[in-house]
Formats: sequence, C-alpha cells, structure tokens
Amino acid sequence: MTVIAEGYNAFETPKTATGTIKYLKDPASVMGLIKSGKLAEHILLVRGGTTTFLAPALTMGAIGVITMSGAPESHLGILSREFQIPCVMTAYLTGSSSRYVVGDPGDAHFAEIVAELEGKNVTLDCSDHDLGRVVLNA
Amino acid sequence: MSATGNAEYLKRWNDAGDEGLRFQNLEYIGNFKGMPGVPDGILGDRMMRERAKSGVLEKVTKEEVLKDEFTIDELNDLNNYLAWNIWDVLVMRATEGVSGMIPRQEYEILSFMQEFYRYPQFMRMMTDNLGAEGIMNIGASARKEIGTKINCVHDWCLGAVAFGMGRCGLLALEAIGPDDYVEESNIILKFMQRVLWGKRQDGYILNSQDRYRCQIHDQSIIDQVMGQTVDFEEGSEDFRRFTNFNATAELLAFFDHYDCRLGLGDTGPYPLPDGRLLIIRDLFVNEEVYHWSDVCDELPHCYTLAVIVDPDKFGLDEIRVNDISTTFTIPKNYIPGITGGAIFVRDKWDTPMGEVYPLKLTELEPHLEKIRTATVKMYDKTIRMPRRELLTNGIWSYYVDMLLPYLRKAGIWEEVNTPKYDYWEIDQRVANYYYEITKRNFVQVTVPQKIFSGEGYLPFSANADLRSSKYAWI
Repeated sequence: MTVIAEGYNAFETPKTATGTIKYLKDPASVMGLIKSGKLAEHILLVRGGTTTFLAPALTMGAIGVITMSGAPESHLGILSREFQIPCVMTAYLTGSSSRYVVGDPGDAHFAEIVAELEGKNVTLDCSDHDLGRVVLNA
Repeated sequence: MSATGNAEYLKRWNDAGDEGLRFQNLEYIGNFKGMPGVPDGILGDRMMRERAKSGVLEKVTKEEVLKDEFTIDELNDLNNYLAWNIWDVLVMRATEGVSGMIPRQEYEILSFMQEFYRYPQFMRMMTDNLGAEGIMNIGASARKEIGTKINCVHDWCLGAVAFGMGRCGLLALEAIGPDDYVEESNIILKFMQRVLWGKRQDGYILNSQDRYRCQIHDQSIIDQVMGQTVDFEEGSEDFRRFTNFNATAELLAFFDHYDCRLGLGDTGPYPLPDGRLLIIRDLFVNEEVYHWSDVCDELPHCYTLAVIVDPDKFGLDEIRVNDISTTFTIPKNYIPGITGGAIFVRDKWDTPMGEVYPLKLTELEPHLEKIRTATVKMYDKTIRMPRRELLTNGIWSYYVDMLLPYLRKAGIWEEVNTPKYDYWEIDQRVANYYYEITKRNFVQVTVPQKIFSGEGYLPFSANADLRSSKYAWI
C-alpha cells in the first residue's frame, strides 16, 4: 500500500472511494464535470474547504473529496459526513515537507500537490479517527 | 475511546470531575498570558470559569439578568469566556482557506464590525418596547417552537459575533480603543444574556457551561415530535431516505445563508426512555428576506428533523451540541447510529406551531427534487455575481439574519425595515474598511491571528467608564 498523501479525516468510515483524481480550480470546472456525466469516476481535489464551491457536486453524487485546506469542523467536513462521502482535508504529500499554513496564500504548496495528485488513480482510506489517507492504486 | 460497544458518553454528564474528551490538539491563551493553556470542551469551560473575577459565568438568577448593566469585571469575564468559546467552536475553521466562490472571510469581518456599530440601536429599541423581561420572553419562546431562528447559534451571535468578534476586529484595525463603546458593549451583552437565559431557564446562558447540552424544549414539544417518528435499520430504504434528505437539505440551508452556520439549528440531546438520544434539527432552506433566496421560493422556511441515535450502536463517547447549534460526536461518524426519525415542515417563519406538519419518508422525493433544483439554481446565480455583490450579500446574510428573529418576534421588523432606520444600509466606516482590509492582508493574516488565537479580545481597563459611548452610525 503506497500512501501518497494524508490529511485530517472528516469522519471515520469503513467505506472507501476509488477513482481518478481531478482538480477543480473554479466553479466552471465543477459544473463542467457534472455535465460530463463522469462525476462518479473521480475523486475531487479542491483548494478551499468551504461547501458552496462543491455544492452541486455534493448533491449530485460525488464519491470522494480531497481538500488542501479546511478541517472536519468546517461546512465541507460536516456535509461530507452527512452525505457519507469519504473526505481527506488539508492534505499534504507524504513525499514532501511542504505544509499548509493558515493565512499564507501558499500557491507553490497547492501547485505541488495538484501536480503530484491530478490524474492518479487512488483509493481514500478514511477508517482512522484522525488521519485520512490517499492510497495509490497499482 | 471505543469504536464499538457500550457508549461512555454518560460519564461526560454524570461525573462531576469528568474533563470531557479533546476534540482538537490545540490550547487557548487569549488574555491569560503566562498561565497554562486552556483546552477545548468540558475542561476548558471549567478552567475559564475558575479564572473569572465575577459570578457572571455561573448560574445566575432572573434578578441578576434583569439588572440594567454589567460591571467592568463582568464585561471582562464575558469577553474572555466568549473569546475562548469562539476559539472552541471555530479555531479549526481558520484552516479553511478561500472558497473560490464567495469572499466569506472578507464579508465576515466587515459584518462583525457593522453589527458592533449598528445593533445597539435596535437592541435598545426592542428593550424600550418590551422591557427587560420581554426580551427574556423572546428567548423563552424557543422552548415551545421548532423551526425557529431564535436558537443557540443566533443567540450566541448576538454577543460572540456582534460584541466579541466585531469589537475584536475594530481593535485589530485600530479603529477603536479598548475603553471605547463600553455602554454599547453593555447593551449588546445584556440583550444576549436575557435572550439566552430566557431560553435555557437553568441559570446558564451557553451550552458549553452545561457540558454542551441544549435541552431546552418543553416536554410537550418532545412528545409532539416523538409521536411522529418511525424506527428503521441502518442501510434500509427508510434510513437512506432520511439521511439523504438530512444531507441535501443541510447543504442548501448553508448555501442560502452564504456558507454560514445560521441555516442550521440543533437542540438536544434529549435522552429518550429507551436509552436512545433525540436531536431536533432545524434546516432553514428559504429565508424570504434575502433577494437571492428567490430560487428557494417553492420551498418552506424550514424543515425540522427529529434525529434519533442509538449511542451503543456506534460507541458514543462524547456528544456536543455546541453554541453554534452544531452537533459533533466522538466517534465523529454518528450517521450509522441513526435508528429513527421524523421530518416536519414549517412553511413560514410565523406559521403557528399548530400548523407545522409532518412528512412521511415515502413523500420526500418531490421535496428532495425541489431542494436539488434550488441548490443548482443558487450555484448558477452565485457564479454570475461580481465579487462586490457577493460581499454585500454576505454582509447582509450575517448582519440582517443575526438580529432578524428577535426583530420579528418583537414586532418591529416592519418598522426598522423602512427608510427611517435604513436597516439594510452599510455604515460608512464599514464601507471604507473594505479597502483597508484588502490592502494589508488584514483578512487572511491579522483576523485569524487575532480572532482565533484570542489575542485580539482586549479587556476593558480598570479605568473604563460604563457610560463611555460613541454611538453613531454613519
């Protein structure tokens, strides 16, 4: 098992989510994915932790979410729990020392994560109380 | 911590020495530099109360609440406690970053300041009209209603947001000094105390003082709700219908309130005779005063869910209904513990309780479809708006809604919603602060540092004058 990223686990669940990571950079890309009919094939990677940005994806059947900021107490953390969508929050790369800092725009940090994760086929392991894991599929 | 097996949550309530569990690995300092850090939860509440100089954080009598004003020590004790309480419920939200959708951090700090400047006038109007006891009765009305916005998040916002974070933001911006606006601070905090005391009726004002319980409803309301609940098994069709409705409606409730917790209202947990727990959850999916809520016109003001959980089923170790009306548990995933429920509809904010009606779980699909449609329409509407419009709407969502339920209940909403009072107008200073907060990275750096660390809630000095006032709105 190769864990390529970790972060806060929004809620513990034996349920896993498997798909190809897709970075959603703006609302248009959220709507584009929904209209493509391929929402259920992807683990959604987003920068911010707030709910509104992902609202249509959550209500239309997103299967898994990775955020680069935010925590289980945020609205997205709460909503992912209510929808039972596995969710790893404030994810960082296990192979990098770069970490999210509150208040720091951190563009390089986010860009590094997107470059490493986008397009990878992964499974979200959210069985731990605290730690959510992004596992690379063979 | 048990993942399964017998629940241990009752220790949190019944053992006087219990310190509760930690929901986060951080500690709070605030105005207590040089002293041990304060954790979250039950232990944190105890430590903050031990550090108080007055008795304002213990159970207080009605006579105490009816007094016209707090002393400086009481104001400072409330300031310190609210600062910790804000940290307790919101510090992890500081990790949230930007949404890519709504400039939430920007609108939040501006609305906090707007409330500090403008709420005292309207709170004084209500108190003049109804008297101190009348304000307490507004709070008490929450005991007999479901689907009411007179709830813990709105009540908490009156003090924690309008006074606490509003004053903190203005201090951080160096727009005011620590001993300014003492009279206005007193008006705000007295109003908050009266509403909350009237609602709880146990001498406390906040859920955190009562081990995070908000057991406020009269037994007649509990009986009415429980009379409509049905039991179901995890994974059954009814379970799926109920939990899916909960999630879908909650999402729209947040969205209609501009990604704000004002759309959600939990009370409880209410222990049931069979050992299970009842949470009563209001989801406000259509606030008619917002112009953007036109996409929700086909929906009622509120859906209320009776959520029944079996604590043994998921090994419940601690449950908190915190002061922003949100339920958190350890283990975090309470959904598999849901074993029953009911859903009610309140069409308008002032629909009489006798006209609130239940929905059968088999009748949910048309409602779900309307909720999903409204959510997508809201998204489509939102992404077309320029940043400044989103910001203004966000300020309104906080500033208007946090006081709206009390203005309505006091019977003066129609009066203040006229040109005479310009309720919707933004104070000129706050309008100007928009440029200040964007110039100095104030929102992304200073605000989290001051508000979420507790550093910015400067105490009133020993020389502060209770009569100190600078009231004006410009």
